[in-house]
Amino acid sequence: MKSELHFDAVVIGAGMAGLVAGTRLAQGGARVCVLAKGHGSTHLAPATIDVLGYAPHLVQEPVAAIEKLVAEHPQHPYALLGSELVGEAVGWFADTVAGGPLPGYTYVGGLERNQMLPTAVGALRPSALVPETMAAGERDQLARVCIAGTPSLRDFHPSLCAANLAAAGIEARSVSLDLKLERADMSTLGIARHFDDPTWRRQFCAELSLTLRAEEHVGLPAMLGLTDPHAVLSDLEHRLGRRVFEIPTLPPSVPGMRLYEILRAALRAAGGRLVLGGEVVGSTRDGARLTAVSTNAAGRDLSYVAPAYVLATGGFASGAIELDSRWVTHERVLDLPLRGLPADGGPRFVSTYLDEQPLARVGVAVDGDLRADGTDNVFVAGASLPGAAPWREGSGEGIALASGYKVAQMVAGRPQATQEATA
Amino acid sequence: MATLSTDVLVIGGGATGTGITWDASLRGLDVVLIDRQDLAEGTSGRFHGLLHSGGRYAVKDPRAAVECIGENRILRRVASDCIEDTGGFFVTTPWDDPAYADRLAQGCAETGVDCEEISVAQALREEPRLNPQVSRVFRVPDANIDVWKTVWAMAHGAQQRGARILPYHAAIAIHREGDAITGARVRDARTGEESEIQARVTVNAGGAWAGQIADLAGIEGVRVLPGRGIMVAMNHRLVNTVVNRCQMPTDGDIIVPIRTVSVVGTTDVNTDDPDDHTVNQNEVDLLLDEGEKLVPGFRQARALRVWTGVRPLFEDDKPTGTDSRDVTRAHALLDHEQRDGIRGFVTITGGKLTTFRLMAEETVDAVCRHLGETRPCRTATESLPGSESGETYRLGERLARKEAKLIDEQIICECELVPRSKLEEAISRTGSTNLDDIRRQLRLGMGPCQGGFCIYRAAGIMQERDRLSAKQADTSLLDFLQERWKGEWPVLYGDQLRQARLDDWIFQGVLDVAHLPR
Amino acid sequence: MTDLAEPEFLRESLDHCVKCTICETQCPVSNVSPLFPGPKYAGPQSERYRVADDPSVDLSVDYCSGCGICSMVCPQGVKIAEINAQARDKLKRQKGVPLRDRIITRPTWLGRVGTATAPIANFSLGFKPARVLGEKVLGVHRDAPAPKFAGRRFSRWMKGRTSPKTGRKIIYFHGCGTEYYEPWEGEKVVAILEHNGFEVVVPKQDCCGLPLQSSGLFDDARKVVLRLARNLAPHVRDEDTIIVGNATSCTLMLKREAREILNLEDDPALKRVSERTYDICELLLELHDRGELNTDFQPVNETVAYHAPCQQQGQWIGKPALELLALVPGLEVKEMNARCCGIAGTYGLKAEKYDIAQAAGRDLFDQVAASGASTVACDSETCRWQIAAATQRPSVHPIDYLHRAYGLDRNGA
Repeated sequence: MKSELHFDAVVIGAGMAGLVAGTRLAQGGARVCVLAKGHGSTHLAPATIDVLGYAPHLVQEPVAAIEKLVAEHPQHPYALLGSELVGEAVGWFADTVAGGPLPGYTYVGGLERNQMLPTAVGALRPSALVPETMAAGERDQLARVCIAGTPSLRDFHPSLCAANLAAAGIEARSVSLDLKLERADMSTLGIARHFDDPTWRRQFCAELSLTLRAEEHVGLPAMLGLTDPHAVLSDLEHRLGRRVFEIPTLPPSVPGMRLYEILRAALRAAGGRLVLGGEVVGSTRDGARLTAVSTNAAGRDLSYVAPAYVLATGGFASGAIELDSRWVTHERVLDLPLRGLPADGGPRFVSTYLDEQPLARVGVAVDGDLRADGTDNVFVAGASLPGAAPWREGSGEGIALASGYKVAQMVAGRPQATQEATA
Repeated sequence: MATLSTDVLVIGGGATGTGITWDASLRGLDVVLIDRQDLAEGTSGRFHGLLHSGGRYAVKDPRAAVECIGENRILRRVASDCIEDTGGFFVTTPWDDPAYADRLAQGCAETGVDCEEISVAQALREEPRLNPQVSRVFRVPDANIDVWKTVWAMAHGAQQRGARILPYHAAIAIHREGDAITGARVRDARTGEESEIQARVTVNAGGAWAGQIADLAGIEGVRVLPGRGIMVAMNHRLVNTVVNRCQMPTDGDIIVPIRTVSVVGTTDVNTDDPDDHTVNQNEVDLLLDEGEKLVPGFRQARALRVWTGVRPLFEDDKPTGTDSRDVTRAHALLDHEQRDGIRGFVTITGGKLTTFRLMAEETVDAVCRHLGETRPCRTATESLPGSESGETYRLGERLARKEAKLIDEQIICECELVPRSKLEEAISRTGSTNLDDIRRQLRLGMGPCQGGFCIYRAAGIMQERDRLSAKQADTSLLDFLQERWKGEWPVLYGDQLRQARLDDWIFQGVLDVAHLPR
Repeated sequence: MTDLAEPEFLRESLDHCVKCTICETQCPVSNVSPLFPGPKYAGPQSERYRVADDPSVDLSVDYCSGCGICSMVCPQGVKIAEINAQARDKLKRQKGVPLRDRIITRPTWLGRVGTATAPIANFSLGFKPARVLGEKVLGVHRDAPAPKFAGRRFSRWMKGRTSPKTGRKIIYFHGCGTEYYEPWEGEKVVAILEHNGFEVVVPKQDCCGLPLQSSGLFDDARKVVLRLARNLAPHVRDEDTIIVGNATSCTLMLKREAREILNLEDDPALKRVSERTYDICELLLELHDRGELNTDFQPVNETVAYHAPCQQQGQWIGKPALELLALVPGLEVKEMNARCCGIAGTYGLKAEKYDIAQAAGRDLFDQVAASGASTVACDSETCRWQIAAATQRPSVHPIDYLHRAYGLDRNGA
């Protein structure tokens, strides 16, 4: 028996770009399989939709800044996507969240203006769209704030966060609550599970309210529940009588896990298949056409055959692009050509940590349709694309969403039909 | 201006200088130890961690071999908590001269280094990753030594006996009255304050910097040629036994398992500047290639970071032809009264970490001669604080300690299992806001994630505890990030590059430390 | 490969760990109990402190249930569950194995005794004082789900019948659960396969060794799984013949776990068996993908909750049962989105782990309750027993629905 499965499209990677591409394809009627080695960036990232935060100076208005960036940097992924498509993808995303499995949970904001939200160290970071649970942390609304945490959570330090917010001119202070949790090493996820419990929440609010002062917003680490954050936020704001917001902190990311659930549910609802543990370990080609990819399922390799493939495996962080010990860079899944490599003999890294590293913008070389160079039927999305430095620019989610959205159009080969499906 | 007065001023807080401080304290002398940086931040803290059996010198330098095996036996007793009894192998690989094996066995027999040939099969059972093509294997009593633990144990022991330990105090002038050195002016590097230290004897334990210190005292011709060598730490114990190539010592011929990592070393390049931390890519490649010969798959394994150590190679520009310098081929003790006619000043340099105690003993003997006193050395029998039980360290200790407090103890550095209590205690004890100082005490940030997760945590705890300003806390965080990056980027490939990218994401994405308020 | 090379290979995978915490977010045990410090801690992190011949110091690794989710979700390829399994093996070798673990990990022995004495055995299992005694003496929790012995054996039933000679042979690996507790599941598998034109062959077989392996009794597990492989291998000599099983944890054992965790990568018989083994739903969906599945399904008007057990997900083939069930007209399938039912083979039977297992399954039980489904479909028998006990709903193998949709339940097959 030949272990071979057939689809209309196979998406490799289940981070934001892969899930968006898979969902969009499935929504367009395609039989889609999303293969993922494991969980991706969604479980780690703050789950804000960063479209363009720094270019390289602080960006106030993402749309305008994208247009300027595109004009100045034709190699940037946004030059292949265009601000209009970014807007469309972001709109689709907001609708998907609103129609998703978390009741009432929404994202707020848009491409017109960046929101400046506190990070766990107390810097202010620009994002276009943010979960409603973070919205009240926006700089312009933040005159007085109390940052609250607990010593059981090693991943959030309210005093440091408040000190930096104060240095930025916000009237900020901190409190640290002994929540008598079940272990000294709590993660935001462990506490989020408590927040899902109304009884626990009530006790938490009773304790916290004792420490609060008039007209203070309350900033908490991002852990306001996994399954019903909208209800948790409403409950907290009601009980404390003030605005409450989440601050993203070290992984794992509770809002990121919510985001994953939303995207996973959208894929499943559209009929897409998701294979976790499906690391692609081999592929076959016929000239420029990729004919199959295989995964190392238990016992034997499984072939997935489709007329088109989406590569959304990420960059160096995921290991999809690798620099080996002989200083050679590869795309590991399909061995596709790369772009953005430092010139031969040029430095790969510079010695000052916060400067941009020469290797930062390496990605899979693509044409204007996001088709991988040298292939007919492999389309590339997300952090696999060259030309961006997502964390420095604050552009990761914007690129992932828009490119995932666009590759679905390209694979379907009929952008018109896909747009109808949205409408 | 504050003035301290003491019997002995020791300049240089490496293993030797701290060893001298410990030795002199045990002999009842009053000691002040200064270092321009933290203790063991120079050469001592920048080696691979090998406690020599003497095997590496058995053929080339028999006298050094004899010293090493003697010190190895002593340190296992008195510094047991700092030493892990890994044992060592000398292995003949296909790239080594097969004739050397018999010379090694012969040399060990002549120098008293325990050496037993074992079967290749036995060696592979013990070390499954060892190159199966090795043809001969000898077992020697190599071990590893945690130098920071050793140095701080000696420092604390000395402090308990009244010694004053002053890291971050640089000697800016050494005072000479007539034909005698009388002390030094020092500057506190953190506050900028200056003070005077009057001493009956001043010891120059500057190691690779000993020439600079001798210059400061106006003594000519103390030339220390710094030999720069790099080492690369691999993410875990590729081997649990020290593995040496069975050949004349050369570049990249040893892998030392120490704490959670294994270190491949070293290279040797002459340099003019002991503060030269250059890492050349060809040296990195050499170490990786040589590592591959001992452990196939070495290049696929994960390299964490690289660092440079500077060996002090002593050359006296002022040979007197007399017995003015008490020198072994391993180290050099200069009694400047004999050499230059200057009283109250002694220089110790050269040597190797394994023989630091012996060097300290000989130095303090010389100090006592200057003081005109006879005080017997006790460091060969007195255990360091923490080593009283005589039990050598086991790698599993931190895991066992956490296991005992599984639920109640918070771990800050997950890779190196550093609990919050130890971090807070170290912050209080050192009074330092420099996380790199804390690192050397606790191994904070030294594991696979290179601080990716613990730097924010540690900075947050420090800020809250010490009520640091935002600026101070941010500086601690950013400095430590930069310090970790320094050792990472020249060997950044494979798994560690993925880690570095995740760390970037945390610091530049999630936390956005590049845009902290200024 | 030397005999130590395989554990070294698993250990080396710790190099890929970037501490990202994804495994921790998905661990069914550490998310509900502080007694298990989590897969990252127990796996790649602690492994750096383990020296082959030094004593085991981290007893907490024994609280890992071995469900394998961590390895599946790890985006970096760290063999987390496998590293934990190795550490547990070493721990058991050093600290000894409780008598309880020696008994409950031998389903063949238990099954033979239980089948012969079914009325008494079943009475004891349902009889509280006997269970309390069992907890005190053996450490098997008094409330742990205990399946009833069927009192008959699947293989006896099979012996009494012959599959129609279609020339399209398939080897059926039924496992101990089917043999002693749920022979009717095997009967349904045979009927479905025959309905799709297969000639079903059931060779002599017994336990796959998984219970022993997951309790850290590696040497015993090796003997048992190799015996099974030797029994099955001769039947798959020819290229086209495959093995199919309905006990998903046992098929995973044959497919991967025995080779990887028990360091049997080089055994040729096991390798052949491993490469040819299919989970029943995997096989049927693949047939469907090729247009070869008989789809003469009758409507089944019902709502069923489907839980993909960890050991099914660990096959890294997605959730084929979901798509198979979707083929049945009238059947509304609710996909449960919980990690684990908690039982993890024999883990949830153990007195000291029972509460953890119940807590680990809580998300699933709540989702089942909220789903409105009357029945829970699940591919693994121990999970079904746990789910049925905790949700007070019947729990069946997904093929039960196919069997009904084919009308086979009315054919007296």
